[in-house]
Amino acid sequence: MADIDIEQKLRQEARGLLEQGKVDRILGYEAGSLKFTTTPLVTADKDDTERLVVNPFVVNNLSAFLTGMEGKTGIVAKGCDSRSIVSLMQDRKVARENLVILGIPCPGLIDVRKVEVLLGKERDELEDISREGDKVTVTAAGKKTELPLAKVLFDNCLACDMPTPEEYDVLLGEPQSPVADPAASRAGIEELEAMSPEQRWEFWKGEFSRCTRCYACRNACPACFCQRCFVEETDPQWVLPVPRWQDNLIFQLIRTIHVAGRCTDCGNCERACPAHIPLRSLSKKMYDMVDELFHYRAGMDRNPEPLLTAYEASEAED
Amino acid sequence: MAGNKKIGRKDLVKLLEKWSQGFTVFAPSRENGEVLMREWDGKDSGFLEWYRNSTQPPKDVVLPPMEKMFAFHKEKDGYRIEEPPPQQQQRRRLLFGIRPCDARALTIVDLPFKEGYEDPYYLARRQGTLLVGLSCTRPYDSCFCTSVGGGPSDASGVDVLLTGTGDGYLAEAATPAGGELLDSAGLEDASPADEAGAAEAKKAALAGITRKIDSEGLKDRLLSCFEDREFWEKAAAKCLSCGVCTFFCPTCYCFDINDEMVGEQGARFKSWDSCAFSVYTQMPVENPRLEKWRRVRQKVCHKFEFYPMNFGVMGCVGCGRCIRLCPVNWDITRVLESLPPAAES
Amino acid sequence: MTTDASQRREFPAGGNVYLPHIAVIEKIIDETPAVKTFHFNFKDEKLREEFTFESGQFAEYSVFGVGEAPFCISSSPTRKDHLEFAMQRVGKVTNALHRLGVGAEIGLRGPYGNSFPLDVLQGKNLVFVGGGIGLAPLRSLIWNVVDNRGRYGKIDIVYGARSPADLCFKYDLDAWEKDGSIGMVTTIDREHPDWTGKVGLVPKVLEEVGPSPDNAVAIVCGPPIMIRFTFPSLAKLGFTPEQMITTLEKRMKCGIGKCGRCNIGNLYVCRDGPVFSYAQIKDFISSEH
Repeated sequence: MADIDIEQKLRQEARGLLEQGKVDRILGYEAGSLKFTTTPLVTADKDDTERLVVNPFVVNNLSAFLTGMEGKTGIVAKGCDSRSIVSLMQDRKVARENLVILGIPCPGLIDVRKVEVLLGKERDELEDISREGDKVTVTAAGKKTELPLAKVLFDNCLACDMPTPEEYDVLLGEPQSPVADPAASRAGIEELEAMSPEQRWEFWKGEFSRCTRCYACRNACPACFCQRCFVEETDPQWVLPVPRWQDNLIFQLIRTIHVAGRCTDCGNCERACPAHIPLRSLSKKMYDMVDELFHYRAGMDRNPEPLLTAYEASEAED
Repeated sequence: MAGNKKIGRKDLVKLLEKWSQGFTVFAPSRENGEVLMREWDGKDSGFLEWYRNSTQPPKDVVLPPMEKMFAFHKEKDGYRIEEPPPQQQQRRRLLFGIRPCDARALTIVDLPFKEGYEDPYYLARRQGTLLVGLSCTRPYDSCFCTSVGGGPSDASGVDVLLTGTGDGYLAEAATPAGGELLDSAGLEDASPADEAGAAEAKKAALAGITRKIDSEGLKDRLLSCFEDREFWEKAAAKCLSCGVCTFFCPTCYCFDINDEMVGEQGARFKSWDSCAFSVYTQMPVENPRLEKWRRVRQKVCHKFEFYPMNFGVMGCVGCGRCIRLCPVNWDITRVLESLPPAAES
Repeated sequence: MTTDASQRREFPAGGNVYLPHIAVIEKIIDETPAVKTFHFNFKDEKLREEFTFESGQFAEYSVFGVGEAPFCISSSPTRKDHLEFAMQRVGKVTNALHRLGVGAEIGLRGPYGNSFPLDVLQGKNLVFVGGGIGLAPLRSLIWNVVDNRGRYGKIDIVYGARSPADLCFKYDLDAWEKDGSIGMVTTIDREHPDWTGKVGLVPKVLEEVGPSPDNAVAIVCGPPIMIRFTFPSLAKLGFTPEQMITTLEKRMKCGIGKCGRCNIGNLYVCRDGPVFSYAQIKDFISSEH
């Protein structure tokens, strides 16, 4: 089903939910104010539902807005987003009965940065980016360039475990198969693992020297739902709020560990970082470690207790 | 001041080398896709091929993300405070390629740091930094400088303004310090053709600004809707309360002060802070801006209402970084456009 | 209601406004289980001689290595043998301050902010309304006024706290009780076995005392909720917003109007305050809270 048809169905569903008073608000995507971007749409007005869009640029994980939202919400969710929702349900941050999940199967999102690099042009210099199956056509300066989809998808999309939501109330569109290239998705991690510890240290020192502690990574992450983050504690002061690279690195490492068992590799953190720090090289590594050690991937199954808050006496001590 | 000068495209590197003898020259550099003003690597002017504007505004050269204010030592007979070496002793800096919006932003940030008590850290760096601006040729679709009192070739904040003429740059001195810099550079005078080329380039750049808002009367419109909770809740709904817009804004300057002590040695640090953070106004008994909508209101009103009330200028230069860097594409121009009209007084 | 900023004396250390002076704690008074008063003096003799401030002004006090926090100077400028400040143990810096003993060194930057407008208060009847530790800035002004008694009219003080144990500056309350020219009313919020005096929330007791608004000015300081309810009570008694003065508290860091965080509208509490008239802030304060 073409995006445009899914869009129409979504708008109808969303409008219906508001008209019938089944939800207090719709949480979805609308066209952004810049080319090839979308922006979250939060609305209680049924006419606003005409602005809802579905396209290859619906990047934000909207479940990050759910914690603390009162009443009932109709939320548009891709596969990865639905996993985050399940993870939030496991942590009792959101109640299933307060949600109407409008699932949209996702063939992968286009990373405009990758397009920029491949074409040697910036986003506002591109005229069009459109996806047809596994091909992406980019128009710039009147010229069309065809690129394979796998070359321009976000890294985390290449390792997508669940392109089609399994937790939903309405599924809009046909189930999708992921464009899988797990090797490409782990390329950054492979590079780091091939380095010596000293080289790795230098690498992260360089990256975190650019971190300004804007906390975009933390605030964009659905798994970071603490009302008071550990960096905001003053007594004791775990980490100084001063952006020295050492403090920045410690902050990110602790944050990554804190979301272990909740992170679904949605990629929101790396996407949000204005300094282009490769945060997924840490979070995806953590994700894989959790999978190896505990055979657990967050949000795949709504029944178990959250991984690291549940304890069985029979579990091994080591 | 003497007339305008001309810098040939092939002479630019030699000029930067010459300036490097008396200044630490900063120029655009790229690190993992992020464009930053860093010490010029001395190699070439290749950055001019791709440079549009830096990701982090050049304010980081005069107001760095963090700096040590002073150190203190616990000694036998009490504390001893140690001030850092005066900035005056350090080498002067030359910021090459700063855009008109960012330079104008520094004149705006000067205002709170100069009035009343003077902030020695900011002022020392500011006085020790010369700005050689570069007129824009490729504005972003997020730029809206012309709507807030600026423009792509506005010289109001720079010491020297360079404008591309096709085969080089027209160099205009905007301050006496800029005039001295050009006079001592041994440059040829600009020809009428150079002047014409630059004028054309400036006109073209103006036409490249596509984002426009009506900033007339924003102060009054904001004053009228200050109590409109519904408006602000709607405006704030998708904000993440991170610090991207404020940290990457050339006119934002809020900072935090923190101490650190290890054993008998310690220091006090100044670092960037953001009114968007929920703990920004946290007090023991209450937090006047606990709700996100109050913080979003504060940011918008500070820039377009309180700053004009206190200093007579808007606290925004329309560089557009907040729009293109915001993880959720929260757009201040959209919010300002949606403000209800001012109430009849 | 703001005093002219250009008249304020400045004492920056080494010319750098952010450098603290070293001060030594000379005496510590346990006001309540959570509140202490520190008596201190500057280590530098010359500064000790020269330092002046006005009632209502505050300073930034440092515990080196822990941080800085703003507190009003609670002693009166008419009594210069030492300086005083009082604070409640609520966070990192205040806890660190409470752990200090006599002889410990702290840092001080200041005095900052504006002060109570003595020129406006002269010749008027003064009504002081305080709650809990809010008496700290008021006591600086009260002693200032008492030391220049002839310049002012009637003095009424209504002061309250949660319980008898939470009453601060009991030695002041006793002195003012004994002063025939002061109408002193102390109250606690709820009945308590150890208390035989007045019972009731400060705004309510204020209304019972019913001071006249004629040629009067009310000076209010206490927990935000007390201040919020005192303004309407004063209005009921006939006081205009211009006749109500308060001193506000906000999270502060630089204390000199640069770091941005203490603003109410376009006013900065550290630079345009902390002393404000209700008239100045009523437009922004209602929706700030």
